[in-house]
Amino acid sequence: MLLQQLINGISVGGIYALLATGYALIYSLLGFSNWAHGEVAMLGAYIGILSVTALQMPFIFAVILAVVGAGFISVFNEKIAYKRIRDNNSPTMFLMIAAMGLSTTFQNLAIVVFGPKFKMYPQILPVGAVKIGSLSVGLLDLVSLGIAIVAIIGLEYLITKTKFGLAVKAASSNMGTASLLGINVDKYIMLVFFLAGTLAGISGILYGMKYTVYPQLGNVALKAFIASVFGGLGSVQGAIVGAMSIGLLETLVSAYIHSGLRDLITFILLIAILLVRPTGLMGKDIQDKA
Amino acid sequence: MREMKGDKNRMKSFSKRLSLLLVVLLAVSMLAGCASEAPAAETGEPAVEPIVIGYVGALSGETAVWGQAGMNGMELTAKEINDAGGILGRPIEVIGLDGKGDPIDSVNAYKKLVSQGAIAVVGTNFSSCNIPMAAVADQMEVPAIATAASNPLVTVDENGNLHPYSFRIGFIDPFQGRVLAAFAMDELDAKNAAVIMDLNSDYSAGVTEFFVEGFEAKGGEILTIVEAQSGQNDFRAQLSKIAPLDPDVILVPWIYKDVALIANQARELGIDAIFLGADGWDSKELITMAGASLEGCYYTSQPSFANPVTKPFYDAYVEMFDGLVPETEALFGHDGLYWIKDAIERAGEVDIAKLRDELETTTGFAGLLGDLTVDPATHNPDKSVSVYQIKDMTQTFVGDFRP
Repeated sequence: MLLQQLINGISVGGIYALLATGYALIYSLLGFSNWAHGEVAMLGAYIGILSVTALQMPFIFAVILAVVGAGFISVFNEKIAYKRIRDNNSPTMFLMIAAMGLSTTFQNLAIVVFGPKFKMYPQILPVGAVKIGSLSVGLLDLVSLGIAIVAIIGLEYLITKTKFGLAVKAASSNMGTASLLGINVDKYIMLVFFLAGTLAGISGILYGMKYTVYPQLGNVALKAFIASVFGGLGSVQGAIVGAMSIGLLETLVSAYIHSGLRDLITFILLIAILLVRPTGLMGKDIQDKA
Repeated sequence: MREMKGDKNRMKSFSKRLSLLLVVLLAVSMLAGCASEAPAAETGEPAVEPIVIGYVGALSGETAVWGQAGMNGMELTAKEINDAGGILGRPIEVIGLDGKGDPIDSVNAYKKLVSQGAIAVVGTNFSSCNIPMAAVADQMEVPAIATAASNPLVTVDENGNLHPYSFRIGFIDPFQGRVLAAFAMDELDAKNAAVIMDLNSDYSAGVTEFFVEGFEAKGGEILTIVEAQSGQNDFRAQLSKIAPLDPDVILVPWIYKDVALIANQARELGIDAIFLGADGWDSKELITMAGASLEGCYYTSQPSFANPVTKPFYDAYVEMFDGLVPETEALFGHDGLYWIKDAIERAGEVDIAKLRDELETTTGFAGLLGDLTVDPATHNPDKSVSVYQIKDMTQTFVGDFRP
């Protein structure tokens, strides 16, 4: 029973992790919480579901379209809002406010365009489970955990082993100096937004397949945000650890304490972390960041 | 200046039109006078004053599909009753007024019907309209008979006091729980059950309460009741607690979206029990979302045209309204009118106070929506509930069952 609950928790945490890493990436570079991140995931989920149902595309093409599409939406946000604010040398707070505006806009746009109803992906995988003794692990959970792990390892490789990663790290350490050293900072910022967008797209599709697709789907990013604060804002590894912790915590609270207390305890944890260890588990110094 | 002239012209044409109108009215009234005298002269009997019965429903607007069906059902039924000799020898006249699905318009429609001499008013199907209507009905002392409105407050106020002049044809939501309990034990041979309940929903809590009561009263065992919240999307923490208990049936009194998620996740966790639900399941989308996981499961809903006894009424309706397919609300109109007829005939005379008393003490009135017995303490009917099974990815009518 406890083991089964741990498996449930990890599978919930896996989806939070994909979203949380996107938060962490953008935070580490620009130092603000991109509140529109969840809506990128939501739009990715809609692109995927419409490609499969309305356009009758094969599933794999729909996934590619959704992931790339989410990447472009994320870049679009950067170009239309964040870049202009940075170019004006406005305070970081403005970025966060712009992100909130984008979030609300996309959510309401989705209600108008796609309607407020829940949509469900056609069943690509049969509803089934892999049985290990008395434990059962959902087929979709296994697949989505696998995808999450591959995506996160890929991301880790990009950041630690490639020129792209080096440039991003340089820019996030000090944007002005990086720019002086000949790094095209705007280009790398754009690429980071694209990367974060594709991660959001993947998590949007996985979330949509596992549950349903609806305009408020992006609100799940709030949990991912808490996960990245818990793990340490700006730290990709921290975001993953945080996401898994939140997933497990939520499941265990629902199972052993009370369902009604699930969110309450998660948010209390957030406040406690901010009071006791503002940098989170693996965070960097967060002075001046909003 | 030009404006002045215009005004004068307008005045002139207005008075001209007014006099024309008066002439027309006079002519019409004379004609009408002739017309109403004609049959009396022919048959040689004095004209019998019709019994006026009102109907309030949304005859316009977004929800007009139900209101119009109810009105049509009333008209068709009135014709049927009149052709068979009316009530105590008097014909029925149905007057329908538009409540627009709005509480204020519905209350006004009720008042207007009373002022037009209605001895009872059928409608609406919205609890939001019938709750204020119930208070007005108590003052005006003319029975208001709700159709599908399912909120307990329609007949009993928040302090538990009965609205003496408010009645309903449909059952209240929690009543389905009692039928589900009886169905699970008698038809499915269930010995034990588990419940997953929405802790933020009165509907879910009500159905659960009645189910548990009914199930335990018949000697069944409730293994566990787990609570979750709509919108949390992941129910595996709760379902994992049910899984090792291996219950015969699991009650899932939720709205279809959550039902789909719960069913899929439960099957993933290896739970093979039969799921039971109430009318929150009643949506075609449930099948596309979780048809395979719900194969062989059951849910309840208001009786409808799925029951073969409604076939003659259905055919008559389609014929009278040129191929229009009736909504269930038409059956409520039908049953409402026959219920009033039944009560008046039991009273033996057309008297509103006696009609109310007879409505209250109704036992076993046989309508198309099933036999109806009223609980005098709450005015809630004890009646049959339709049970559906999800079979081969379609919603299949199983039958009407009583607790």
